[in-house]
Amino acid sequence: MLLARSLRAVSALRPPLPAPLRRLWAAPPRALPPAPSAAPGPARSLWQLGGGAGRTALLRPRRGSAGRVSCGCGGLHTEGDKAFAQFLTDEIKEEKKIQKHKSLPKVSGGWELEVHGTEARLVRKIAGEKITVTFNINNSIPPSAEDDTQEGQKPDEQEPELTSTPNFVVEVIKDDTKQTLVLDCHYPEDEIGHEGEEESDIFTIREVSFQPTGESDWKDTNYTLNTDSLDWALYDHLMDFLADRGVDNTFADELIELSTALEHQEYIKFLEDLKSFVKCQ
Amino acid sequence: MSVVLRNAQRSVPVRRAPLRRAVCALRAALGASRFDVGLVCAGNALMQRLNGAYRQRPEPTDVLSFPFHQVAAGELPRPRCRGEYNLGDIFLGVEYIHQQCRDAGEDFEGVLVVTAAHGLCHLLGYRHDTKPAWEQMYQKEAQILEELNRLTGSRLRPLTAGLF
Repeated sequence: MLLARSLRAVSALRPPLPAPLRRLWAAPPRALPPAPSAAPGPARSLWQLGGGAGRTALLRPRRGSAGRVSCGCGGLHTEGDKAFAQFLTDEIKEEKKIQKHKSLPKVSGGWELEVHGTEARLVRKIAGEKITVTFNINNSIPPSAEDDTQEGQKPDEQEPELTSTPNFVVEVIKDDTKQTLVLDCHYPEDEIGHEGEEESDIFTIREVSFQPTGESDWKDTNYTLNTDSLDWALYDHLMDFLADRGVDNTFADELIELSTALEHQEYIKFLEDLKSFVKCQ
Repeated sequence: MSVVLRNAQRSVPVRRAPLRRAVCALRAALGASRFDVGLVCAGNALMQRLNGAYRQRPEPTDVLSFPFHQVAAGELPRPRCRGEYNLGDIFLGVEYIHQQCRDAGEDFEGVLVVTAAHGLCHLLGYRHDTKPAWEQMYQKEAQILEELNRLTGSRLRPLTAGLF
């Protein structure tokens, strides 16, 4: 289990942080606009009168404001923010230390990877067909994996690694058709990484639908096949269909590696952004 | 009733549809079409774990059968309720079988079906720990594979030929 994530869970048990100290400014830094029918209010006047020097005077922190950070960046700073920023510094350091992949792992089989933030797309062309696999790493870590802290577990005992198992959508486009076959695939819940439960399919097809090629909007009026009550033989044909196009158990396993690496990368980036946002600029 | 097929390994590509067709035909040849069967394609790690847990032989193997009912060879189970229309589960050690086929130059998909036939017979009480028991099992395997061969044009033979 990632140390920093554990710390995040444990933080709920910590005593609450001291309440933020009083605001740095006596007057609000930005005045509300006056009502249309009223004469120009004092706030606007203050801005006009203040000019550069006046504005600086307003923003200058009061003397005696012990515990507050003195700066002129225009943000609220509290001791809590300072502690938070320091906490994030430590978190980021720990996360980077245990980062398994510094760069995203490749998926075998000639797939090209495109990443746009939290969304990744794998593309493969084979004999007149284009196969696209899309997934998003947001909310891709099963809750049981993230929250599963055993009672009485010692802090130094190794916890299972967090694994990202996103739903993924396979699109198969044939060159000579205007329809894309779309298959929504899921990983079984609570079964990844648990010893003794590796007796099921590595991934499953949940829904199948045809969608117009090239259109971004989902067409609700197109029939969507749900596999929950599907004939098993038909389901196996669909799985073999995907396997022939490179979406098989090996692919599904490698996609987990890729997704987990991407999720961790984005998590670290988020922590860094959060630290920048919180700390004094 | 259903053949519930799972492919729980990534070591060997497995064609699900033809394997299901074959198992359904073999089950029908045994007169057990109204019974569910579970079929898991497993890798060496899982087979080793199961073999160790249930047979005290912690090593990969080609097939493990877990019957739902205890029946004498040649008898069909007598279910007392809907939930008992179940023959049990067969774990096919596909990784192990694949390696054996590579070593022996045999057709993997054919041997997979023959192994499944062997597993099905075990679910119905057939054994091969004595010569008479083996002979009985061999005859049944040959019979159901012959039925499959007739349907598909294949030429499959029982797994345990020459065991005794």
